[in-house]
Amino acid sequence: MTAILDIQDVRKSYGSYAALKGVSLSVNQGEFIALVGPSGCGKTTLLKQIAGFEEPDTGRIAIAGADMAGVPAAKRPTSMVFQKLALFPHMTVAENIGFPLKLRRTDTAEIKKRVGQMIELMQLKGEYLTRYPRQLSGGEQQRVALARSMVSAPKLLLLDEPLSALDVKLKKVLQAELKRLHRSVGVTFVHVTHDLEEAMMLADRICVMRDGAILQLGTPADIYYRPAGSFVSGFIGETNLLPITISERTSSGLIYQAADIVDTDGRIAADLVAGKVAKGPALLMLRPELLRVLPPGETADGAIAAEVTEMFGKGGTVQYRARTPGGQMLVVEIPGTSSLPMRIGDKVRLGFTKKDIYVFGVEA
Amino acid sequence: MTKSWYSDLPQYYQRQIKAAGLDEAGLTRRRLLKGMAATAGVAMAGLSSRPSQAASQMTYMCWEGYNDPRIIDPFRKANDVEIAFDLIVDSPGGFAKLQAGASREVDLVSSDMPWITRLGPAGLAQELNPADYADVYATFYDQFKPPFEPLLNEGKTIGVATRWGWVGPCVNTDLTKPEIWKSYDPVFDDANKGKICVMDWGDWPILPMALHAGIDPYQELDQNALEETRKVLRAMFKNTRTLVADLTQAQKGLLDGSLLGCIGAGSYLTSAVRKQGHKNIIAVVPEPKNGLKQGIIWVEATAILKDTDQPELAQKLLKHVVSKESGHVLSLLDSTCNVVTNKAVEALYTPEERDILQADYMWTAWDNSQMHRIAPNIDDMLAIWQEELAAAQ
Amino acid sequence: MADEVPRSWRDPDLLIKALPTVLLQTTCFLAPLVMTFLLTFQRSRNFQLQWSWDLWTWTDVFSKPHYWTILGHTIFMAAATVAICLIIAFPIAYGLATRFKAWENEIKVLITFAFITDATLKIYGWALFLDKNGMANYALSSIGLPPEMVAFLYTDWATLLGMVYSLSAFAIFTLYLSISNIDRSLILAAYDAGAGKFRAHWEVTLPLCKPGIWAGSVLIFLLSVGAFLEPKVLGGGKSPMSAELIRQTFETRVNWPLGAALTLVLMVVSVFIVLLFSRLIGLKRAGLAA
Repeated sequence: MTAILDIQDVRKSYGSYAALKGVSLSVNQGEFIALVGPSGCGKTTLLKQIAGFEEPDTGRIAIAGADMAGVPAAKRPTSMVFQKLALFPHMTVAENIGFPLKLRRTDTAEIKKRVGQMIELMQLKGEYLTRYPRQLSGGEQQRVALARSMVSAPKLLLLDEPLSALDVKLKKVLQAELKRLHRSVGVTFVHVTHDLEEAMMLADRICVMRDGAILQLGTPADIYYRPAGSFVSGFIGETNLLPITISERTSSGLIYQAADIVDTDGRIAADLVAGKVAKGPALLMLRPELLRVLPPGETADGAIAAEVTEMFGKGGTVQYRARTPGGQMLVVEIPGTSSLPMRIGDKVRLGFTKKDIYVFGVEA
Repeated sequence: MTKSWYSDLPQYYQRQIKAAGLDEAGLTRRRLLKGMAATAGVAMAGLSSRPSQAASQMTYMCWEGYNDPRIIDPFRKANDVEIAFDLIVDSPGGFAKLQAGASREVDLVSSDMPWITRLGPAGLAQELNPADYADVYATFYDQFKPPFEPLLNEGKTIGVATRWGWVGPCVNTDLTKPEIWKSYDPVFDDANKGKICVMDWGDWPILPMALHAGIDPYQELDQNALEETRKVLRAMFKNTRTLVADLTQAQKGLLDGSLLGCIGAGSYLTSAVRKQGHKNIIAVVPEPKNGLKQGIIWVEATAILKDTDQPELAQKLLKHVVSKESGHVLSLLDSTCNVVTNKAVEALYTPEERDILQADYMWTAWDNSQMHRIAPNIDDMLAIWQEELAAAQ
Repeated sequence: MADEVPRSWRDPDLLIKALPTVLLQTTCFLAPLVMTFLLTFQRSRNFQLQWSWDLWTWTDVFSKPHYWTILGHTIFMAAATVAICLIIAFPIAYGLATRFKAWENEIKVLITFAFITDATLKIYGWALFLDKNGMANYALSSIGLPPEMVAFLYTDWATLLGMVYSLSAFAIFTLYLSISNIDRSLILAAYDAGAGKFRAHWEVTLPLCKPGIWAGSVLIFLLSVGAFLEPKVLGGGKSPMSAELIRQTFETRVNWPLGAALTLVLMVVSVFIVLLFSRLIGLKRAGLAA
């Protein structure tokens, strides 16, 4: 696979504020990549550098092998879907979608044909062509914006949180739509969002950013089960982080002690440990749904004693809060049909399997 | 001299600024004029309804100058009367206003004589008994003593003449010689193209041009005579640099030499600059042409309105306005200086003041001039003026 | 809107609510207009109004070409003023709304000041500046240029200069408002779609400024049509515009019926032109009307 987008050590400052502190990223042809992070993490800034609205201070951006330094937005093979959609209010839907083609001096008949194709692709009604954007619903406007961005067949489609303003239900529909679109046109998507769940649903790979730097780049499963640290692990869903002390670190794994954990051997294999972890204090991550209640007498790779303090029904599952003797709060999620229901005040043992855990260092 | 925004500029510009009326005194004057004209109605209403300290109130419609505090204040104190002013900006307008109902408010009016006389047939003026004014007339120049024909309506005296002057070319003697202006010929000289200034003052520039064309505009005119007037106006516009309604603008142009001569004005325009020391600016009257006198004498007069509720006070104020003291003030205002009808005032003039007023020239001017009245065909002539002006573009 | 109930004039509630507005409009606007209209059927003889109830005035208006010459000249000058004001104001307003955001308030205060200074004063100042022996020529000749280079005082050019100077602030403000209301992402979207700076201006900024351009144009046009000081003081009165013609007719000719007729002609023609242009530029179609 060839890299359609190659970003090398890009830095960008606004006055004394460093928005990008050396970002490198390589995106493959046809990939759907999501840039995720809290506001101010630099994800939109990075997108602007790719689109060509701004030039990075240092570093290199190449699209399809061509260096983009000095190439204005108008000349880049990219297309952007804006957060506020940025549909031209004085143009009809047809004029909006056809605008990039008109700028490329495409002849009228060809524009008409391509706009028609786009309308079809976006599953918009033909009668919308003569309407103005404000006469359409939010979701329809979204499709028009996508159509306008796709009509010129860009190599890279850049999406700047285009779904953030929509209500949940519509968001879900359009997320599915985006996924379908990506599959059907095969264009590379770079999607900026602050919603990791959305990223998980859509992206082939996710790039988690914070404070102008990339924290982790990986598949949705990597991000979920093998987070690079507590920030990434806490960014989606709930998680249990138990403090441990590593007494020995070898190439094959590590030996650890933890106050509340009764472990069979006290060892963890190297593939369950984040690369940078060394001797000393570290965190052990356990996703709530990977803990289970141990019936009396049964053992597991590891077990934690705790007392149930709260419970919430969540439909298919029930979520419990439990406190260890050391005072650590744990979140446990078990199927609502579990044969071992718990009640508040119950003293239980929570077991886990070794392959379900992950260890990373304590972040500053 | 106190410091002002222009006092650091070269002398030349300081003179220009003053001439254009952009100095403090000029601005105050201009603002006053504009403000008073705009709010005259409001002010009148306001003044008459305001609970006054004075025993009685009057309204005086007049040209700017007649309201000078040096004239009015002594009268106000002596008679314990509050006086509101309704300043005239043009004579026909003032007349129209009186006709439209202001005559019920106004007690006394000082305006151009033809318009004062016209108050007679319009039924607005109180007829005067000359005998009541014998004390006033005693010191008048003989020319203005009753029976003074221009102020008579069906033999009855309508008003008393106050201030007067002559209309003729106004020139700068540094740039041109008065002898050249013994006729209006220089107005049409190709050499003077773009150097002639025409006052945009209604009939004033039209009448001298008609006289130059050999037409007496004070007679009923036939179509031929009107066509002659049209021709002479068309010829005049050919050489015209600018039409000017603002006195100071014309004065400035004469001073700085951008204008060779002004048509349609006279002593009224030149005297104020002469007072500032520019004795090179003079108003002359051309010599009679084919027996037709080329100059025009204008007279201002004062009349009492029929509807006045203060007949005695109005008469007193009229007599006060033409008195020796008031006449002296009135003839030497900052904005314009003009001779008056009261001969006694002449005794008060210093030689310098006589020079400012061209007093030694006034009877020469009188002898070579027509007495200004309302021209019977003035509306036709004004229409022709508009047409020719539009065509001159 | 679907919830808008069609209301009838027979609805007494509505009638009562509308009454004050109707009364105000009638007394302050309609009544003077009707009176002006009635006045045109009278005559003026020797500076006196005569209730003749005939068509003398209108016959005069439609038989004398010079009224129309002056009207045509007025419309032309007003249109030229609008065009020049817009050309000057656009870059200024654009700069204000984008480049000079930091000094935005200071610049606005300056423009406002220039705006509210007495118009008479400014126009006389220009006359002084442009005169044969004025400051412009003084400055030019003092740096060695030939004398009297600035020689357009008392021409239509000087009139135009004065009108543009007095009125351009209207265009700056209306355009400024329009431009600063344009979402920045629309411009970016145009770049992104492949438009260069000029094209983005032409296709996006300019059409979206239409309401501002329109508002400024109407204001400037109507004010220009009524201009009298500039043609008088800077134009030297030789090339009078309609307002001066009307003033002359009312004041020096004291011909109120004719003045009233000329006023109505000017009003009708101005309104007609404004309506014609609003149709032409199609504000409605783009749905940009405010």
